[in-house]
Amino acid sequence: MTEIFSLYGQQDSQGPAGPSALGFGSGKPQVPQNMGPMCFQHQMVDEGGPIRKPAAMNEPFYLLRELPLENELTGHTNLITHYNLEHAYNKFCGKKVKEKLSNFLPELPGMIDSPGIQDNSSLRSLIEKPPVCNNSFSPLTGAMLTGFRLHTGPLPEQYRLMHIQPPKKKNKHKHKHLRPQDPLPPETPSDSDHKKKKKKKDDDPDRKKKKKDKKKKKNRHSPDHPGMTGAQPSGSSLR
Amino acid sequence: MAEKFDNLEEHLEKFVENIRQLGIIVSDFQPSSQTGLNQKLNFMISGLQDIEKCRQQLHDINVPLEVFEYIDQGRNPQLYTKECLERALAKNEQVKGKIDTLTKFKSLLISELGKVFPEEMAKYKAIHGEDPPS
Repeated sequence: MTEIFSLYGQQDSQGPAGPSALGFGSGKPQVPQNMGPMCFQHQMVDEGGPIRKPAAMNEPFYLLRELPLENELTGHTNLITHYNLEHAYNKFCGKKVKEKLSNFLPELPGMIDSPGIQDNSSLRSLIEKPPVCNNSFSPLTGAMLTGFRLHTGPLPEQYRLMHIQPPKKKNKHKHKHLRPQDPLPPETPSDSDHKKKKKKKDDDPDRKKKKKDKKKKKNRHSPDHPGMTGAQPSGSSLR
Repeated sequence: MAEKFDNLEEHLEKFVENIRQLGIIVSDFQPSSQTGLNQKLNFMISGLQDIEKCRQQLHDINVPLEVFEYIDQGRNPQLYTKECLERALAKNEQVKGKIDTLTKFKSLLISELGKVFPEEMAKYKAIHGEDPPS
């Protein structure tokens, strides 16, 4: 750096140096000795085109440019706080996010965790090769619906994949979903009554308690029971 | 903003449910199910019409293509958001480190230059002003 400062000192004493010494190119006119280096440099800019900014040329330091305008937003600030993304950060990075797609869309039927490439159902293929279709959706007429007359009976095994659901975890708190039940064959009135009666019979809590009490009584009155002294059963049994 | 997403979500849920029921009818088809099947097919078309109507409200929504990669692999798309935030934070910290290091370097350089070239540094400070303390 001392060489740069001393160069200006040489110009003052020895006269203006040639263009090659200063590195500004050829064909520059000679400047009279009494003029300082500042005017010499200014003339160089006029003829050779702006090599550097005029502000920098007027300063005593070589290649000293103006400082860039300070940007308010730099990497020095916490950008997550700046853009109010703390809540989002805590939500996604604070808690563990589950890996599978079925955890994001639990209500979606079918095997959605398998890669889309396997069954040619990838979104990427849809973007790269969009299906050719008309602009509008029109409902099917009677004639068109004749094409949807199906054979009776179950599907062939090769087409039954969509009904295979991934094993769902049993939740402790069972949420009642609003989804309507699968269409079941209509039950006959007699069957439904019989089933209801049978179900009611089994679910009655009083009957369960009675069964437990009977079991206890049997155990007490059995010869193998250790505490058996022939005493009458206690009045604490519930009926 | 959330309303248009709720609207689309509702239509999509109805559409998916309709398709699911269609699949159940088809899996064990009976002649009496033909009317129901035809109804479900027309519901499917009306569902697609409703979804297309939602498109106008969402024309300004952009979805990054990388999210589709996650979905195609059967992964949770929230993982993409998580990784974006983590990468942004990591890059933020990296750039902050660079800025802090360069600021310290600048202040050290100016102080050392001031010791070696006091007059020139005084001229420099007169031009650029005093540097803020690092």
